[in-house]
Amino acid sequence: MHIPDSFIPIWQGAIYWIIVLVFITLALKWAKDEMNEEKLPLVAVLAAGIFALQSFNLPVSMGTSGHLVGGALAAIILGSPFAAVFILAMVLIVQGVLFGDGGITVMGANIINMGVIGGFVGFYTFKGLMGMTKSMPLSVFFAAWLACLIPALAASLELYLAGTFPLVEGMIAMGIYYAIIGVIEGIVTVGAIYLITTARPDLVDTGAKTATGA
Amino acid sequence: MIEELFQIERDAYRNSAIHRLDARVKIAITFAAIIALVAVPYSIMIYTVGAFFFAFFFLLWCCTRLSLVVYVKRLLSIVPLWGMIIFFQIFLKNKYYTDYHVVMSLPLGISIYAESIEFAFILLVKFVICISFIILLSSTTKMHDLLEGAARMGLPPEFALALGMMIRYLFVFGYMYRKINETLKTKCFDAFDRHLPYRYRLRQLGYTIGTMFIRSYEVGERVYTSMLCRGYGRESYLFVAKKPLKTYEWAFLLISLIFIVAVPVAVWLTAISLF
Repeated sequence: MHIPDSFIPIWQGAIYWIIVLVFITLALKWAKDEMNEEKLPLVAVLAAGIFALQSFNLPVSMGTSGHLVGGALAAIILGSPFAAVFILAMVLIVQGVLFGDGGITVMGANIINMGVIGGFVGFYTFKGLMGMTKSMPLSVFFAAWLACLIPALAASLELYLAGTFPLVEGMIAMGIYYAIIGVIEGIVTVGAIYLITTARPDLVDTGAKTATGA
Repeated sequence: MIEELFQIERDAYRNSAIHRLDARVKIAITFAAIIALVAVPYSIMIYTVGAFFFAFFFLLWCCTRLSLVVYVKRLLSIVPLWGMIIFFQIFLKNKYYTDYHVVMSLPLGISIYAESIEFAFILLVKFVICISFIILLSSTTKMHDLLEGAARMGLPPEFALALGMMIRYLFVFGYMYRKINETLKTKCFDAFDRHLPYRYRLRQLGYTIGTMFIRSYEVGERVYTSMLCRGYGRESYLFVAKKPLKTYEWAFLLISLIFIVAVPVAVWLTAISLF
């Protein structure tokens, strides 16, 4: 899902950068308002944790593998989609600048996909489903699944707009692939949030804490 | 990716003329080179521009006194996934060409086009050289120096502080990742072993990831307490002292930037081709 440099023309990359700068500004505002002394190490740890999680290759099928994204996880634990934007931006900066995973001119697109779309889809799906079903595992699972699938579809749309991959083939390939990875992401996210809310309920500031306790 | 962390930092701690350059100079050159390469249209002019840029990169790499094996290993760890997508381009038509000529027809109506092969090669050249500059930057600059350089270049303090802490945790996670991997190997656990039930493999990975998270919280909490003991507060930010660039760094930066801008412009204006 990490689009590398050269797959998107420079002018399109610039547009994605401009869009994402708006979200980064809002994420910085979230960081100034919400990231208190206690939350800062948590944010940094989560960012490093998501980075590490993305290093785990999970078996998908036919010898292929994929990695988790973590946008929903960050948004749900920290209780804001802007937390996901902030954390995924940090993760993608480190991955792009140090490891060449992703790129510089396309970083805007990558942050939009995994941070903005992943974070917002994950957070609001979780909130919506929690309101309707009151089931934490179900809400987290679908939130994480959608937060994995929709960014992948967005990435294939961006590649189509860039003229570097056809739309239908890209949507089908990415859709199927990330729908499968999304199931694993959903299970792992449920497991991670369950473990955290059980071991350290004080750290999760969304409805998840209440739901598990209920 | 996390396995590379330690090797990258080891390479960055070496000593050479490139290693000693201020991080801002290297960041500016890397970003400029990548932007210039991406800005070149999807045309065969990239071959000539790419050759000049690769020669520039190679010259800088030789000055780092790092082995070419380091570069090739890192390149090979990045290229395969997107290399596959570049390879698939040879079967696809795209908006950058109007006429397509079939080079080979395959079963199921699949064809390989001459123009698609050319496009795939253009993408490959751009991709590999962009990655090469990233490898050069990260192999010659310590992570902390990169962060300080970015902070001096205007990275918001909230980001700089959180990134600084994240980078420290990355190494903790790196050690944990190694330990967990060794433990799994000791138990002869292979996530890709088809003889093991899928649910079992997934559960083991779930436990592993969950353990990493819980341990990360514990580490975070200890760091938080230590930070409080050392006078950390809400308004604390990473202190970055002012550090003006030296004359030779300015000179190197300017010459490099002129080269990076002049090469594509000159190739475009003169239409010269090395290939």
